[in-house]
Amino acid sequence: MFYQILKKSLFKRKGRLIIAVIAIVMGVTIPAAMFTVSLDVNNKIGAEFRKFGANLLIVPKSDIIPVGIGDISLTSVTNQQYINETDIYKIKTINWSKNILGYAPFLYQVITAKSNGQEQQVVLTGTWFEKNTTLEDGTNFLTGVRRINSWWWSVEGNWIGDLEFFNFSSTTCMIGINVAKKMNLSLGDIFSVTYQDEETLSLEISGIITTGGTEDNHIFVPLEVAQYLTEQTNAIHTIQVSALCSGCPIEDIASEIESEINYIEAKTILQMTNTEMSILHTIEMMMTIVTLIALLATLLGVSTTLTTSILERKTEIGLMMSIGAENRKIASLFLTESLLIGVMGGFIGFIIGILGAQFVSITVFNSFVSPQLIVLPIILVIASIVSLFASIIPINRALKIEPVLVLRGD
Amino acid sequence: MSKELIVLDNLSKIYDGCTTALNEINLSISRGDWTSITGPSGSGKTTLLNMVSCLDKPTSGSIMIGETKINDLNQTELTRFRRENIGLIFQQHYLIPYLSALENVMLPMYYNNNKDESIAIKTLKRVGLGHRLHSIPAKLSGGEQQRVCIARSLINNPRILIADEPTGNLDQKNGRVVLNLIKEIHEAGNTILLVTHNSKIAREGDRIVQIIDGKVSMSNMTVIN
Ligand SMILES: Nc1ncnc2c1ncn2[C@@H]1O[C@H](COP(=O)(O)OP(=O)(O)OP(=O)(O)O)[C@@H](O)[C@H]1O
Ligand SMILES: [Mg+2]
Repeated sequence: MFYQILKKSLFKRKGRLIIAVIAIVMGVTIPAAMFTVSLDVNNKIGAEFRKFGANLLIVPKSDIIPVGIGDISLTSVTNQQYINETDIYKIKTINWSKNILGYAPFLYQVITAKSNGQEQQVVLTGTWFEKNTTLEDGTNFLTGVRRINSWWWSVEGNWIGDLEFFNFSSTTCMIGINVAKKMNLSLGDIFSVTYQDEETLSLEISGIITTGGTEDNHIFVPLEVAQYLTEQTNAIHTIQVSALCSGCPIEDIASEIESEINYIEAKTILQMTNTEMSILHTIEMMMTIVTLIALLATLLGVSTTLTTSILERKTEIGLMMSIGAENRKIASLFLTESLLIGVMGGFIGFIIGILGAQFVSITVFNSFVSPQLIVLPIILVIASIVSLFASIIPINRALKIEPVLVLRGD
Repeated sequence: MSKELIVLDNLSKIYDGCTTALNEINLSISRGDWTSITGPSGSGKTTLLNMVSCLDKPTSGSIMIGETKINDLNQTELTRFRRENIGLIFQQHYLIPYLSALENVMLPMYYNNNKDESIAIKTLKRVGLGHRLHSIPAKLSGGEQQRVCIARSLINNPRILIADEPTGNLDQKNGRVVLNLIKEIHEAGNTILLVTHNSKIAREGDRIVQIIDGKVSMSNMTVIN
């Protein structure tokens, strides 16, 4: 019976119903679009983070105060400006080790590069490119700079591999784009590097790197080559770590690594270009304000429509009361009606919102959004809350109707 | 059980603090009686019915219906009491326009949490509308609409039927049909309170009460013919 009354009374007043639904649609379309875009962008950023990207930088602690005075070994730790290469595996022994996707050590040294009679002071960087390492428990772990940074290292030519065995007479390298420009070098060229006028190596260029960062000014060689050239066996300056941290606290991972290797500092870094993020935040803020205003307008619109509708049905409501309808029966009829309006408006708003999101995403971010289903329940809840709030005043008016007044036949 | 079903004691209704619609009415109505209420326009007849049917509260004085003191009930209790004890027939045939005859009749049942459709069908047949169950009010004649209203007023088996000029908007033939129905209901043992301007109809009752300026001016018994 309840649904008969509901269905038939709604059908009878289709026009009002449609107006109320449109009001809801207008109110929720913007938040639907906003949620879709921001979730989509966040997902994309998250996915990129997961695939690549170092987000921890490990450096030696610069100012350790010695604990035992006169203790020689402690003093040497204090002065250490290097990380021991043999300690790297420890990163993979922390509790969060599953979240450690990869790491790469770096050893930097300023050397002199010579080519076509031209001499330049350049930073030579030794690192792991794609190295098969052995962990504490004996398992293999493929890691290196190619694993953790490949998405923002754009390489012309080929990546080089790590050395299976030392062969310093002919070694390949990768050079930054700025080095290539400055020294007029291109793929396949051979040039020589000298460290403190002692050791000299000739390097063949296998790949040219563009990152937009300091890497563009470096020459990259396998770690062993750099250590040999600069006579710093087992030494590295920094380690870049890529940790999966959607949800898990990156600070926890950092402090765990710090307690595992006690003479280092693990710093969290955000390698993402923040442009997309800040555009997104600006849009979100503007949208939030617009949304609040829109929802307020919706609230007023729906409230007015429902009030009009109730005034039109005064006699009907009075009649229902006079033949025994209690207040809650009357109220539940109108509450259900407004809930229905909310759900319908929310659903339509969600769909239009996705189209809007598509438009925003294409114009601002130049990419398509995928519909985010999680937005649907959020929008339905917002729409329902707005329409229920909008029905408070009209329902109160309905309950104040006095049957004796509306049923006075003249 | 006392003979008196409805007892009005010093009942007054003053609208907006100035219009005295009922002025200290004392009236007892016996169980099973048909009481016709007459009087000039504006004398307070409808106001009186509204008090008895628990649609409105008196300014002063008390109403007893059976064992229940109406003055003591709150809004929800009043609604419930009315639903279970009183059938209402208005001068205009107030029906929900988008519901069928059957659904209109079932509405008080629904409010009483009773879903038995067969009772509603039986009642509609009793008022001669067995063939019009699924018509909406707009498709029914005035007389038929009023019969739907009568069926609706009877659906919860009320002890008291209250009718405010039930034939006022009907032609003579339809008025007769409606009146005969009320007679039947009366003969079945129900107490009837009926307001009418028509003295012929008034005389159908056991008793005529005349109200003038909110006071009972004449209250006499008539012989049933
Ligand atoms: N809600 C109200 N507010 C103010 N005055 C009212 C109200 N209802 C009725 N009255 C006044 O109370 C008096 C009695 O009205 P009531 O409707 O009871 O008369 P009635 O006898 O039923 O008249 P009629 O035969 O025309 O139906 C009238 O003067 C009327 O104007
Ligand atoms: Mg009247």
